[in-house]
Amino acid sequence: MGKPRQLLLARRHFLHGAGGFALALPVLRSLMPRDSWAGDPPFAKNPRFVAFATEHGGVWEDFMFPGATTLTDTQAYAGRTIRRGALVRTLDGAQAGVCPVLSGPADVLTPELAAKLNVLRGLDCPFYLGHHRGGHLGNFADNDGNGTDGVVAQGFPMPTIDQVMAWSPSFYPDLSTTLERSMIVGSRVSWGWSSPESGTGSIQEQPPVFSSLELFNRIFVPVEDDLTSARPPVVDRVLDQYRSLRQSDRRLSAADRQRIDDHLERLDELQRRLEVTVSCGDVMPPSADSTDEWNSSSFGYDPAAQRRFWQLFNDVIAAAFVCGTSRIAVLRVSDTFSDFQGDWHQAVAHEAHTHDGGAQGTLWAAHQRFFADVMLDLARKLDVDEGDGVTMLDNTLIAWSQESGLFTHESVSTPVVTFGSAAGAFATGQYLDYRNLADEGMYGWSNGSTQRLNPGLSYNQWLGSALTAMGVPKAEYEAGEYGGYGQIYVGEGREQYYPSGVFDVAGETLPWLGSD
Amino acid sequence: MLRRRPHPFLCALLLVAAPGCYGGLGANDSNAAADSEDAGSTAGSDGASTGADDGGSVFACDPDAVAPELPLRRLSKIQYASTIADLVRGAAPEGDVDAILTELDPLIATVPEDARETIAGETHGGFRRLDQTVHQEHVNASYDVAVAVGRELTATEARRTAAIGSCATDADAANDDACLGDFIARFGGRAMRRPLDADEVGFYRSVYDGEGAAVGMDPEAFADVVAVMLVSPQFLYFVEHGDAPVAATADRYWLSGHEIATRLSYHFWQSMPDDELIAAAESGALLTDEGYAAQIDRLLADPRTEITFGEFYREWLWLDDLAPMDALVGTALFDAVRGDFEPGPDTTANMVAEVVDMATWTTFVQGGGFEELFLSDRSFAKTADVAALYGVTPWQGGEPPVLEDPARVGLLTRAALVASGGNNTRPIMKGVFLRKGLLCEPVPPPPNNAAANPPELSDEMTTREVVEELTQQPDTACAGCHSTFINPLGFATENFDSLGRTRTEQTLFDEAGAVVGSKPIDTSSMPQIIAGDTTMSSGAADLAQLMIESDKPQACLARNLVRFTLARPEDVMGDGCMLDEAASRLSEGVPLVEVIRAVALRPEFRQRRFE
Repeated sequence: MGKPRQLLLARRHFLHGAGGFALALPVLRSLMPRDSWAGDPPFAKNPRFVAFATEHGGVWEDFMFPGATTLTDTQAYAGRTIRRGALVRTLDGAQAGVCPVLSGPADVLTPELAAKLNVLRGLDCPFYLGHHRGGHLGNFADNDGNGTDGVVAQGFPMPTIDQVMAWSPSFYPDLSTTLERSMIVGSRVSWGWSSPESGTGSIQEQPPVFSSLELFNRIFVPVEDDLTSARPPVVDRVLDQYRSLRQSDRRLSAADRQRIDDHLERLDELQRRLEVTVSCGDVMPPSADSTDEWNSSSFGYDPAAQRRFWQLFNDVIAAAFVCGTSRIAVLRVSDTFSDFQGDWHQAVAHEAHTHDGGAQGTLWAAHQRFFADVMLDLARKLDVDEGDGVTMLDNTLIAWSQESGLFTHESVSTPVVTFGSAAGAFATGQYLDYRNLADEGMYGWSNGSTQRLNPGLSYNQWLGSALTAMGVPKAEYEAGEYGGYGQIYVGEGREQYYPSGVFDVAGETLPWLGSD
Repeated sequence: MLRRRPHPFLCALLLVAAPGCYGGLGANDSNAAADSEDAGSTAGSDGASTGADDGGSVFACDPDAVAPELPLRRLSKIQYASTIADLVRGAAPEGDVDAILTELDPLIATVPEDARETIAGETHGGFRRLDQTVHQEHVNASYDVAVAVGRELTATEARRTAAIGSCATDADAANDDACLGDFIARFGGRAMRRPLDADEVGFYRSVYDGEGAAVGMDPEAFADVVAVMLVSPQFLYFVEHGDAPVAATADRYWLSGHEIATRLSYHFWQSMPDDELIAAAESGALLTDEGYAAQIDRLLADPRTEITFGEFYREWLWLDDLAPMDALVGTALFDAVRGDFEPGPDTTANMVAEVVDMATWTTFVQGGGFEELFLSDRSFAKTADVAALYGVTPWQGGEPPVLEDPARVGLLTRAALVASGGNNTRPIMKGVFLRKGLLCEPVPPPPNNAAANPPELSDEMTTREVVEELTQQPDTACAGCHSTFINPLGFATENFDSLGRTRTEQTLFDEAGAVVGSKPIDTSSMPQIIAGDTTMSSGAADLAQLMIESDKPQACLARNLVRFTLARPEDVMGDGCMLDEAASRLSEGVPLVEVIRAVALRPEFRQRRFE
């Protein structure tokens, strides 16, 4: 193992740590290989991606989205008139926001930060998905099968887009500082191939971490590692063993050999990681671990503890981005951010549309807390100058998706909220509404309440837009008749709402979202 | 929230063409993927769901049928951790073992947890040893652990003396070469579960040499050898090459003695073979029927087997899905429902342990068969909370107390199988569990959005009445399955409340938890364990009897036992002989431990297919 590179700490900044650890970090630019910068600064060529996936959804439109008067522009697109407008930050005492859910302390959600938000409406999964985990990032197969459509979707497992990025040579053209291709927090949010380098094998869930300290240990190389040994690294010899077995004339089945090949790929990745010797300078190990919070018996209804839990991860993510040891983080947030003590699933989420609004009040307030305490917190931590007036947040795409749209279980108009311009790929500060208001044929239903739903564009188009923004060429992920990412499947009885024109444009970056 | 009137709207809206729950589901298609490889082995051939009306096993034994083989199976996390611990115990000074294992614990914790994997199309239940995914984290973590084990075993002179021998620490350079060779053969043989061949010894010698970096008895070089051994495919995987071909087959081979020893040891003990098993492999005794059976008897008698099958019962019975009993303590409605019983943070685990202890005691202490397991009238509650639910004193070991409550009629009425931990019971989910988990019959998915309308606690109706009104409206898609296939099973145990306490009336509450009335419990139903059977059940006792008489739960247990034993989904045709043997013996009342033994005695356990 070579000696860790010593960095030129010409400029440092202190992250807005929430108590996790003290960190004096060099700016990212000093870590980036020169060719990773765009010829046209100030944006970084290789941006970062963060996805937050939350459960249920079901937040009423008056709480989740800005007012309709915000939508000042229209455009004909895919057989409908789509709308957009500039987000308007309003003040309510010490709170600022663009709508009730998307609000936070005014000194955090500053006008500058609010201008880096996007709110997307009218992104649909065109079949009944019900409860799921995988749909956020493109693996619709991971659903509960609570419906015939969901069962059909279970037959088409796909890698999630974070794993497409993680193993894309376009996204990671240089892995010299990368320790973790993708940081995965929370279970069942990320899926990839069993042989990810070759994109073959079976689709399997990527194991998550729940400990911020464990994640920290994965993304930093301790400088004090023993570097004095004259012995060669043993990983070479480990590889020799597997190759020897693979090539031996002993009896093995073809599937045995495939398993060995899969393992060899993983060993190659291990070897690559072991050769990463980047140091981030004055890194102090975290003084707290997320599991300290999680292990509390009251964690499930203690929003302050939940805030601390997730902010500890935000600290590690921000530090990893600064150090360049990872550029992807996906987080499945299943906490409620509420002091409600009871069966959240049944008593709140499934009651979100009872007319008295009691459960809805609990629900939207919880979503607001998630936004302010977690998503906004990370945006603030990343919104530090990387040089030339561009912040790390500008070079990042943070995306928050909910499990359902306005109705729990129904994946029509799943809200997508973003921060950052993905290194200039996205225009920001917008409210974008892709629904076809002329079509009110669908209905949503939940606990005695029905409401007309307007069909939108395909969620696949959003996933493809995110991949494109992250620099992954379509050739690496598009397959089949239509563009966008993932399988396109129109559910039973929904064909009329999703004509082929919707999918003909699925390979395009969502209108107005692209910066060009 | 309380429901005053059920909302039938959903089912009226969703008059989709859901498959009928009988007729349309006459075949268990849970093996569709596996069966598809075998011509003629269609889902329809899987007759388990139709029961064994003639009293025999529902499986057909075709000695010529060949099951798919699981390629290069890896150690499960439990097996991996146990093996590392056993290797350390065998190599480190006794006084240092705990310290070393404590040092390794955080690294072993980074090995991904195994998921409960089940059969295709199923979303509940499953066994962790079926999880065969290999993630980057497996490779990273096993490397870190291996390096750490090497470092720890060579950290001091005392440890090197224990692990390698005094030759490693003495001043005599003349014995160094033999010392190294002996260590490689001894430690490597333990790690690989078989003797190393000359090429392998040479390979590890070259690892030691480190391109000429090793000088004399170099602790770092020994550590490297250990590390490389502990990430080898022969350590992390069950590498099997087979031995002699099975007569009259194209691609089946008998496993070698060491391969059999490894299969046996990991199946029963979740860890590496011990010295006696290795000796039986080396002497050839394991290749004889007598020697093989003798080793199975020895493994079965070891306490580690009981722990392993405790895991089996826990996973088969979906016990890890039991909800926390204390989550709602402090809320008005739940506090009213629970009354003076206060579940604690350990109550759920205590309920689970009670069932696991019941199953393992019945199997390994009582020597009971399927009926003893299914109808046990003993309490295995070791803690005051579960004992209080049962109205017995906690079990202190020895002869377990008898359950005096006539409503407690065996497995189906154990607290862990009837409690929900909520304000309300969940008869639908109880029915789904019985149908899928204990009868091995697939339940078709509900119509889209059906789950949006869960049955809620009512201040006017019993939970059963709410469920009936919600899901059994005539001519709805819901009724097709709920009225015949799901609800009748769940209703049979509605004489237990959401904390698993016996009741004859359901107390009705308002939202604030005030009592507003009560209604009598009705546990009668037509469970249709066999399609079209109109026999009525008055409750759990009748239901259990009907289930036993159908032979379906025995067949289902056989499926699960074979699945657990082979660490892969069973193939109804290819594994038909093993399934048939297990199911027949279970139906005949053969002791459970004998069924476990019989499955391992099957020749298929000692064979491997290579395609």
